[in-house]
Amino acid sequence: MRNRRRTGAVLLSVALALALAACGRADEGSGAASGPASQAAEIDTSSASGEISVWAMGTEGDNLGVLADAFMADHPDVTVEVTAVPWDAAHDRIVNAIAGGEGPDVTMIGTTWMGEFAQLEGIDPTPSNFDPSQFFEGAWDTTVVDGTSYGVPWYVETRLLYYRTDLAEEGGVTEPPATWDDLKAMAKGVQDAGAEYGINLQPGGTGSWQTFMPFFWQAGGEIMDADATFTLDGEPCVEALTFYDSFFEEGLTAPAAGDVPLEGQFANGDVGSFISGPWMIGIVTDAGAAPETWTVAHQPTEEAGTSFVGGSNLGVLADSDNKQAAWAFVEYLSDPEVQITWYETVKDLPSVQSAWDNEALAGDELLSAFGDQLSDAKAPPAIATWEEVAAEIDAVIEQVTVGDMTPEDGCPAMQEAADGIGTGA
Amino acid sequence: MAWSFALPFLLLFTVFMAGPIMVALVTSFTDLRVTDIRNPLSVDFVGLENYLAVLGDARFQKAAANTAVFVLVGVPLTMALGLAAAVGLNQGIVRFRTFFRVGFYLPVVTSIVAIAVVWRLLLGTEAGLINGILAGFGIDGPGWLTDERYALWSIIAMAAWRNLGFLMVIFLAGLQTIPGDLYEAAEVDGANLWQRFKGITLPLMRPTLLFGAVITGIGYVQFFEEVFVMTEGGPLNATLSLALYAYDQFSFGNYGYTAAIAFILFLAIAMLTVVQFRLFRTEA
Repeated sequence: MRNRRRTGAVLLSVALALALAACGRADEGSGAASGPASQAAEIDTSSASGEISVWAMGTEGDNLGVLADAFMADHPDVTVEVTAVPWDAAHDRIVNAIAGGEGPDVTMIGTTWMGEFAQLEGIDPTPSNFDPSQFFEGAWDTTVVDGTSYGVPWYVETRLLYYRTDLAEEGGVTEPPATWDDLKAMAKGVQDAGAEYGINLQPGGTGSWQTFMPFFWQAGGEIMDADATFTLDGEPCVEALTFYDSFFEEGLTAPAAGDVPLEGQFANGDVGSFISGPWMIGIVTDAGAAPETWTVAHQPTEEAGTSFVGGSNLGVLADSDNKQAAWAFVEYLSDPEVQITWYETVKDLPSVQSAWDNEALAGDELLSAFGDQLSDAKAPPAIATWEEVAAEIDAVIEQVTVGDMTPEDGCPAMQEAADGIGTGA
Repeated sequence: MAWSFALPFLLLFTVFMAGPIMVALVTSFTDLRVTDIRNPLSVDFVGLENYLAVLGDARFQKAAANTAVFVLVGVPLTMALGLAAAVGLNQGIVRFRTFFRVGFYLPVVTSIVAIAVVWRLLLGTEAGLINGILAGFGIDGPGWLTDERYALWSIIAMAAWRNLGFLMVIFLAGLQTIPGDLYEAAEVDGANLWQRFKGITLPLMRPTLLFGAVITGIGYVQFFEEVFVMTEGGPLNATLSLALYAYDQFSFGNYGYTAAIAFILFLAIAMLTVVQFRLFRTEA
């Protein structure tokens, strides 16, 4: 008995040793490429046939069938099967699909996941069928990992300033804020006119970097330099963090995340302004804010007037066995007219610039403001570790706005944390 | 022959329990990240680096301190409340006994996520019921979940409220095994209520108390859903638990690092259980 147990143990350790001997990373040369992103050779999508499966999240997943049906009417030889995936589970499911080689042919991809999936060699480089200049530059950049583009932007969103024009006028502000000083003056103005808080800025917490980073870009900062080294610390960061924090110091924004929905507070005038994406147009309107009492404005300009660009991309999985039909479907979804149909179906804003000439968007004052901002909007670098770096930035923002860290200490802390995490390459 | 009877169990145990645990243990000594999962064998062994990095991480230390407070305050509090409820129901309260038992036990059988969502609403700063009641008395209630000073205590209070029902049922069963004539004899000897509780109930309840402490302790060391739903570990990491910290690292794709946290957590639970066994050991 004792002997047998020992044999088992020996066998196990031999197996383990063999497995270990097989381990070890191959040395990979990794250099940041400069110049335009490279793309794969053109794929002839005109003769696409067969079956493809497509994954999409949220509202997009629920409604993509509309476009799939239209696509199949155009391409009778192709069958498209759409699967709706919940947002919460999407990231892990795609990772599992890539790891197991059993997944969809086309999938919707959150813009901040691109670096990770590209590094996994799980998604296909974009063929040269797609012209980058068709798309908004900031959105296209989210597909570029280490100099190569993987997939195309599907829809976009960017962040604008929503503010109560009636309260601002009462407080003596008649023009949309053009600079940081104007923004501060507007926040003070609406607060003087009776708002409890002049503006709503996130005091840290998940995603607050999306509100903060535009200020960082506006001060002339860049998250990374051309050598893929983080450049978070520096004068632009301190300026932006000091400016962001000043709203908290001066009592112009709520010191802690509230438990009352923002849209209601905006509608009844408790909160005079906030920075958010196009989805808030509908939400604010539903909350009862009269259209003549508020509007949206371009981000304020210091060295730049840059905002954050988000949205989702479309990628074709590297293991797909019908890439011809897969890219044909992606091509179809990037068609300006299809993008307008999609806007009319789920209100997703087109990633293709020429679609914005359509009356449905160009004729809407609020939406065309988003269109203007999109030509000056940036996304974080497509690196595999971005979510983790972003969490560190969120943490520092909280330390500075809620805690007692100074912006002068916060920026080096961001830099140190980001350097510690690295780019995952 | 004997082995063939044990084989089904052994197979299941190896494939579903021992195997994954071994894999996790090996993983904790590698730099495995999500970007390696297509070639998991191509990772490097880094020795104890993950463990050292975890122990040196300020956020881990904060999470460990929060978890320690949660366990050291939460377990005794929950046990005391559970015992009080059990003793009360066993002796004092005769009317509506079933009603109270159901009432105390109801939170235990309710989904923790549903409870956390409701408590988040109750504890809200502006629109919360508790601050609403306080406002009725002219008191400006604090941010129960958004103020660094109160957040962890709010979560502890909720956990105690939720789990006392389970301990109450266990303790009730323990109380009913104590022979009634012991109390009668003590009463004849002139022992008062407190003396009877201290001299009879507590010593004879030791095994039951130990069980309660171990089960509650193991659960509390791994507390997760409460903070995941209610605070995401904030404000300023005041409610970050070890399990939530591990979850965050896993979602960032740091699998080797997460495996190291998991084994540290496992060691902590093992050590806590040993301490509890020593504390409640019946004198021979």
